[in-house]
Amino acid sequence: MNGPPPIPASPPLPPLASPQKALHKLFLTLFLRGRSSRGLRKQGAPQSVGSKLGLVLLIYAGVGLVALAFVGQPVFAMSLYLHAMTLVFLGMFMAASCGEVLFNKEESDILLHRPVTPRVLLWAKIGVLVRVSLWLAGAFNLAGFFAGIGASDGGWLFPPAHVISTVLEALFCAGSVVVVYQLCLRWFGRERLDGLMTMAQVIVAIVAVLAGQIPQLIGRFNGHLNFNFHSWWVCLLPPAWFAGLDDLIAGSRSGPSAILAVAGITATAAILWLAFEKLARDYESGLQSLGEAAAPKRPRGERRRWLATLAGRPPLRWWLRDPVARASFLLVAAYLFRDRDVKLRVYPGLAPMLVWPVILLFQTHGPGKTDGFSGLSGFSIAFSGIYIGIIPMLALDLLRYSQQWQAADLFRVVPMNGPGPLCDGARRAVLCVLTLPVAGALALLAWQIGSANSLLPLLLPGIIALPVYAMLACIGGRAVPLSLPTEEAKPAGRGATMVAVMLLSGLLALVATLSWNFGWFKWLLPAEVVLAAGLYLLMRASVGAARWTSPE
Amino acid sequence: MISLQNLTKRFGSQTAVDALSLEIPAGQIVGFLGPNGAGKSTTLKMLTGILAPTSGTATICGFDLLKDTIEVKRRVGFVPESGAVFESLTGLEYLEMVAALYAIPSEAARARIRQFIAFFDLSFETLTDKLLGAYSKGMRRKVVITAALLHNPPVVFFDEPLDGLDANAAVGFKALIQTLAREGKTIVYSSHILDVVERVCDRVVIIDKGRLLLDGRPDELVASHASGTLEKLFTQLTGGTELEQRAQDFAKTFRP
Repeated sequence: MNGPPPIPASPPLPPLASPQKALHKLFLTLFLRGRSSRGLRKQGAPQSVGSKLGLVLLIYAGVGLVALAFVGQPVFAMSLYLHAMTLVFLGMFMAASCGEVLFNKEESDILLHRPVTPRVLLWAKIGVLVRVSLWLAGAFNLAGFFAGIGASDGGWLFPPAHVISTVLEALFCAGSVVVVYQLCLRWFGRERLDGLMTMAQVIVAIVAVLAGQIPQLIGRFNGHLNFNFHSWWVCLLPPAWFAGLDDLIAGSRSGPSAILAVAGITATAAILWLAFEKLARDYESGLQSLGEAAAPKRPRGERRRWLATLAGRPPLRWWLRDPVARASFLLVAAYLFRDRDVKLRVYPGLAPMLVWPVILLFQTHGPGKTDGFSGLSGFSIAFSGIYIGIIPMLALDLLRYSQQWQAADLFRVVPMNGPGPLCDGARRAVLCVLTLPVAGALALLAWQIGSANSLLPLLLPGIIALPVYAMLACIGGRAVPLSLPTEEAKPAGRGATMVAVMLLSGLLALVATLSWNFGWFKWLLPAEVVLAAGLYLLMRASVGAARWTSPE
Repeated sequence: MISLQNLTKRFGSQTAVDALSLEIPAGQIVGFLGPNGAGKSTTLKMLTGILAPTSGTATICGFDLLKDTIEVKRRVGFVPESGAVFESLTGLEYLEMVAALYAIPSEAARARIRQFIAFFDLSFETLTDKLLGAYSKGMRRKVVITAALLHNPPVVFFDEPLDGLDANAAVGFKALIQTLAREGKTIVYSSHILDVVERVCDRVVIIDKGRLLLDGRPDELVASHASGTLEKLFTQLTGGTELEQRAQDFAKTFRP
């Protein structure tokens, strides 16, 4: 600490250049590396989105090969499919990423006292989201760029046209997400930012999944664009606008496609104007609110005591006899209700998964529908019941991550042999707080809609399998709550697990449906109970025997 | 250099800072004191543009906080209590990013960073190879202090700057801020380590419940209240009485 040479006094301050470039580089680096690090060296940074992005892009490119099936069809049909699916992927990506990117709590202490305006911050963040969106969209549309050349009315103009429309769609998607946040902030106030962020992401995720149903609509009008009685409403959907742009430049060049193209360009411009001009002030107030603690309207203790009260009364008191499991239950339940970071990860992560059984129920049992497969009557009911098992599995996985993960060192300090009781409490909290309400809602939905009432017993195989699914996530003591850094929360492997669970659920639902239709159902249930109980006890013993492993 | 005019911040019905007015000339080190929840950090966050005041305003270097926010931000440095950094950047990446936000050319920024790491006894390799998430608390604090002073601001706000610094670094830091003040910089120093405040600061401002309680030279305040030390004066004003007796009574509850 010997005297360093003096730092020269700063000259009169020159006009400040825009820090846009530095901020864009910063947010891209943070996105690719994650926001916190346990690694000692730059090269040892924990695996994050960046390190797995290559694999994700490869998967997207593989899924995009489906576009080759559209060769020979009209440009509009192919483009509608590509844009609908692109919107799904971008929507899911935005829903998963934008909350963390747009509103990071620690950021206010680091950046808000620097000479940058909230608008510049917003542009830099959106720039990164759009950039990564374009990587994803580019990978998915790779095959489509070339398939469009082989469309019935396509040609060499299709690839450049589709590049333009895809960039517009990415901007539209990013702008729409920002507008959703800003409108929520404007209408509901910044005091409720945490809840609003969760709600906004859930809405975006659900809309994205619903947009994925658009390809099914293509068949309804044979891919030809006309404003007839059956298909006019398709033209209100954003993917149709961007497909119209492709069709105008490289397809039929018809009047309707020109109208759609103009609608797409106008909507994108309007959304961007709303996001970055009209409502930019709401983003600024949202950023500032992250550093504030709103005064409670009534004593917090009064609001929060209900959780402990609930856990202290039967039947939860009987179910939570182990004090460690009970403490873990309360911890997880509190985070599910209160923690912004956990809520932003868990609810938007679960919402799109839960839309599928609802869609399936409506498609097969909605008004005027009958379960159309001979011998498979009630498949969608059975599938919905079994599919509920995905909730504890996914939720327990997502609950392992927290911004306060270092606080979980406490679990290793206390005299406890292994993580079993902690996993146990977390599992019970997820079953109580998330799974049972959703199961009830799905049962109610199945009961309410048209033709499904007599098929309700088909939900039973799913309910019987539920404890097994929940225990599956705890094997090896994996489900220690809030114990891992958040940047590890985006593993590509989770997608593969979920696909495997969906396939397994489909298989079990098939067995249940066949047994229902062929009269074996009364034998299936006791057999499943015995099998599930055996598996549950084995897994429970395994979780109880798990010991702490090194966090490194 | 700094002028607060009825600066107020309310969170709903709760008033965190209540019509605070102060004048701080250039070259002064002001100790900004108060018990937990007194409104110190909220005041500093308003003065650095992180939080918007509910009413009132302030001028810093002649620029109005509400009208010329960016000009104010260019002229202040801030070490927040949280010591927050982007943990997945290396120290050098972080400091170069901060320099870019103040439009400091990269060569000049690198030269300044080298001066700071020499002062703080950090190695350049540590700065380039280690991610900030792997830094010790003290090393991280040194990076945050460097980031606050990198653009050579005329006004610096420190919120618990010594938190995590070892004794050597703390001694060096105290000498640094006294030298900076002699060269005309205005320093607002918020801390709970009262003996340091007593030794380093020219003036002490004590607030509680968002309101100004006392303002003056530390030695004069201590003498006028016959309290002996600043710490005793502080507890006399804000902490109530019988603190030591309560501690002794509580300690007795640990007896087997």
